[in-house]
Amino acid sequence: MSTSRLIAASELHNSAQRDSNARVTRWMLIYIVVALALAAMSLLVGTSSLRTSLEWLRSPASISEAVLWNIRLPRALGAWLAGALLGLGGAIAQNLFRNPLAEPYLLGSASGAALGVTVCLMAADVSLSGLAWMGELGVTGAAFVGAAAGITLTLTLCRGVVQTASLLLAGVVVAFLLSAITSLLLLRSPDTWRAMQSFLLGTTGFLGWRSAGLLAFVFVIGLIPAVLLSRGLDTLTLGEDTARSLGLPIGALRVGLLALLSLATAAAVSQAGIVGFVGLVAPHLVRESVHVNSRQLIIAAPLCGGVLLQAADLASRWIIRPSELPVGIVTACLGGAYLVVLLWRRAQRE
Amino acid sequence: MMHVPRALLALAAALLASQALPHEPIVLSDAAHQELRLDAPPKRIVSLLPSLTESVCELGECGRLVATDRYSNWPESVQALPKAGGLEDVLVEQVVRAKPDIVLLIHAPRVLDRLRGLGIVTFEFEAQTYSDIARNISILGVMLGVPERARSLNAHIEQSVAAVAAESRRRLAGRAPRVYYEVDNGPWGAGPQSFIGEELARLGARNILTPDLGPFPKLNPEYVVRANPDVILISPAEAPNLGNRPGWSEIRAVRERRVCTFPPDVRDTVIRPGPRIATGLQALAECLIRVTP
Amino acid sequence: MNSVLQARAPATPVLSAHDITVCFGPRTVLDSLSLDITAACWTSIIGPNGCGKSTLLKTLAGLIDPQGGTVALEGRPLNAWPGRERAKRVAWLPQSTMASDLTVRDCVALGRFPYTGWLGNTRFADEEAIARALKATGAAEWSARRVSTLSGGERQRVSLARLLAVEASILLLDEPTTHLDPPHQIDIASILRQQAHRRGGIIVSAIHDMSVALMADRVIVMGPRSLVGHGTVSEALEGDWLSRAFGTEISIVRSGASYVWQPRLPG
Repeated sequence: MSTSRLIAASELHNSAQRDSNARVTRWMLIYIVVALALAAMSLLVGTSSLRTSLEWLRSPASISEAVLWNIRLPRALGAWLAGALLGLGGAIAQNLFRNPLAEPYLLGSASGAALGVTVCLMAADVSLSGLAWMGELGVTGAAFVGAAAGITLTLTLCRGVVQTASLLLAGVVVAFLLSAITSLLLLRSPDTWRAMQSFLLGTTGFLGWRSAGLLAFVFVIGLIPAVLLSRGLDTLTLGEDTARSLGLPIGALRVGLLALLSLATAAAVSQAGIVGFVGLVAPHLVRESVHVNSRQLIIAAPLCGGVLLQAADLASRWIIRPSELPVGIVTACLGGAYLVVLLWRRAQRE
Repeated sequence: MMHVPRALLALAAALLASQALPHEPIVLSDAAHQELRLDAPPKRIVSLLPSLTESVCELGECGRLVATDRYSNWPESVQALPKAGGLEDVLVEQVVRAKPDIVLLIHAPRVLDRLRGLGIVTFEFEAQTYSDIARNISILGVMLGVPERARSLNAHIEQSVAAVAAESRRRLAGRAPRVYYEVDNGPWGAGPQSFIGEELARLGARNILTPDLGPFPKLNPEYVVRANPDVILISPAEAPNLGNRPGWSEIRAVRERRVCTFPPDVRDTVIRPGPRIATGLQALAECLIRVTP
Repeated sequence: MNSVLQARAPATPVLSAHDITVCFGPRTVLDSLSLDITAACWTSIIGPNGCGKSTLLKTLAGLIDPQGGTVALEGRPLNAWPGRERAKRVAWLPQSTMASDLTVRDCVALGRFPYTGWLGNTRFADEEAIARALKATGAAEWSARRVSTLSGGERQRVSLARLLAVEASILLLDEPTTHLDPPHQIDIASILRQQAHRRGGIIVSAIHDMSVALMADRVIVMGPRSLVGHGTVSEALEGDWLSRAFGTEISIVRSGASYVWQPRLPG
């Protein structure tokens, strides 16, 4: 085997590889550029007309400063970060469960968060003494705790991470159970119902610098380990037994990925409520545009998810201004429409 | 024969005669233009709206109530009555078991269909605005056979309201505070067309929401920041956290702590278009007078 | 057991099973089976369906923990080896191939996981191993194509390339030729031969096509309950191992350089 022939073969592959990498990089740049453009537009869109917003930029006053820099900018950033976390969660979930319909809320995180927020609102309103600490935690803290509790319950129910099928099933069961308890509580304290609505439908309305900072922190400590673990995901595509035979510690990989999924989802839900479809659609959108391996997906899906939620936030503020739509409704419409297009294209191909 | 005063005899005769005469049948038309014919005031009433419950009791006919919705909580005697759920989720069985002669409620199609299908007599009210209060009390007065009491109750309410409003305007001394009333976390605000909006206007306050937004719009929080209200009225749970909402620390009401909160029982008097409106108005007025700059 | 073919390369690693018992629920598949694989040659596992060929291979690879007994690699118990160290020495190929969105080259590169680890940065040695594996299996020309676009036979060759990329001294293959047409089956057989003879690798495969299976140097004949025999191909054919294992008369005829199974119709 002469080295030159080997290298020639390598070259053939290398150029193809480089083309593919270039394409992926190009898409990532597109996502980033679009995100920046949307952020700029976010400064101009809200309860004021375009002209007014532009005037503000030129000659700021204290109120307009507050609106532009304390409300609109952190809101756009927070929306991007929440979307990115959901995109990351979706990429991890779809890879972990080897199921293209998997999404970050599968393990009962959404219903757990909803229950946490319900208890918190009730505790604040009705002053249930035993749960007063829940009220003090605040809505975001309660949502986070609730999401974590939901996931823990799922994992306990299926006793570990051995079987992904039973994990999915346990997640569905826990989601139903926690939703039922939430509904029961809401019946007894009906004043909480309308306040819950905004959480259940997703809201970016109160994302300020503090929320954005928290989301950014979670995003960084979530993305880096996920990228490191992503090669293991590629190896998993060969099959569990083969991956194990190559020395991949599957159990540890699963635990790590689940922890990251839980963290990302809980953080996003605690700040933005239950925003649907972003976690499901972002990885699909990436894969439909370009072929990616696991590592590229783990990086590109958050970029895509961030753009999606940013766009949805912008739309929710603009469509019925000065009122606003819950952002979850916008993502549901956009996401649903996209999935319909996807199905139609698949049918055409066959 | 004893000398019984002739006037007394005449009175007795008149009374006996009035008992013998047949009552006029009660004919009423409800909010959905359905006609109601009753021979006598209903003896067993189910009320599915707290303001109607309160009106019935203020007219002195509390004894006729056999069941209410879960939100009716005033006066205290009502709390012991069986509860038949809310408007969206009426416990039909409870209603039927109470064997009502009539059910009082506002427009809720599924409930109406179900109850009518079971042969229960229903009467629809409208309870959205200030004028509805007087109208509903009058209707109840006729229905329950106490029209004079209804008239006097309405007069009393109008007097009290006028008094509170006048006093409030006097104490505000020409100041017309710009107010924001938050109904729920969302944020959902109370617009000028809502009942709450009407009350605030009566007291001389100006609503930062415009009529075109509707009675209870879901707002972009930015709107409130831009409007920069002088006074914010909000639930006690949210009040401490207003400064944490992004950008809200710029609002005058937040900076200068001009925030009004009401405990649940007081809040009931504010949001229910019923006979206790004067109390609610008083609570609003007191707060406004206290915090308006 | 005497091995006719001696080790061709120095320091042959040893894989041995002592009294291993493997049960799936109530069913015992391997019952106190003992086996020593020492020689640097290609050994075929032959036996009827359900006798436990796949199970044996998986147990030797460390993918199944036997309920009884131990498997030892170079004298140490298999589960005492850290995962990647064991993976560098023992490589396993499954029966089924997975469809993947990766390119052929990336797929084969995954075989270097024991060396590159989580970060996945390949060095020159890794690149060479990958290139060699692609060349040996004739998959080099598809290296930029996606695995999902290949046919079943082509995917099997890519899987084999992935296995070869590990450059482990012990290769365990479970039905590596099922989807291949006869010329390609012969290609695989010659690859396995090469690996055994020129590189001193220990190859153990389970191939149900008798003619191909008997191209190996040695055989392990498994019956429905136990190990029937372990020796050279000639020993197996001289004795009645095959007939005992399959429970019927098996007639193998030598035709030129290969063995052909002559099926006899009943009656």
